[in-house]
Amino acid sequence: MVIGTALDIMSKVAPPRAAFVDHPVGCTFGSPHDRSRNETVLARALAELPRFTQAGEIRDLRCDWTPGGDRAWEEELRAEMLHDH
Amino acid sequence: MPLEYLAIMAQNSAPKPQRELASPSKTAWCPLKKPISESRVALLSSAALRLANQDPFVPREDLSYRRVASDPKAGEIIIDHHSGIGRVPKEDPEIVFPRTALAKLVDERIVGMLSPFYLSFMGGLRRHREIEDDLAPALAQELKQAEVDLALLVPY
Repeated sequence: MVIGTALDIMSKVAPPRAAFVDHPVGCTFGSPHDRSRNETVLARALAELPRFTQAGEIRDLRCDWTPGGDRAWEEELRAEMLHDH
Repeated sequence: MPLEYLAIMAQNSAPKPQRELASPSKTAWCPLKKPISESRVALLSSAALRLANQDPFVPREDLSYRRVASDPKAGEIIIDHHSGIGRVPKEDPEIVFPRTALAKLVDERIVGMLSPFYLSFMGGLRRHREIEDDLAPALAQELKQAEVDLALLVPY
């Protein structure tokens, strides 16, 4: 199973089983040193495993990066990725 | 709507065409053979990460891989991947390679057992045929020999 943050890329590549984590790329299992969050995301991904029924399925783990679902992080990340290029 | 990384990649590569995304030529599907609580689990990472005492990966088209001990206390993890997203995970590789979290899930009996080692390779390679013909089968053979039931790949 792939556990990834880029839903559009996973949709194109279509691994046999994929779990989507709506976190910034590079922070799949949470913020640095947040061991509780690391474990929560990993446990959610594992819990999805028995629910896959066919190849190419992507299951959303419903992990918001911020508690209120604020998406300001996207603009920061986009700017960083374009700047770093 | 989730962030669209392909659009950012296209903007980064302009005016050159966007890089090609390759899918496996054969669909892989293997049913679960036992409960997760009885399964041996391995992590796979495309972050080109390794233990500090292992040979570094050589960006950008390195097709080698490293066995990384699954024990979280086995040593410091170094990320060799050239991606610009690396600043945060280099501060704490556990956020892309959760060895500690997986070991804890074994302690809690949610996962059966750990593979003795995990596998790491370079993501973003353009040599698709060699990945499918050489690298992927070599990784699969490692997992088979370690009697791994379940492999979790975390793309970088």
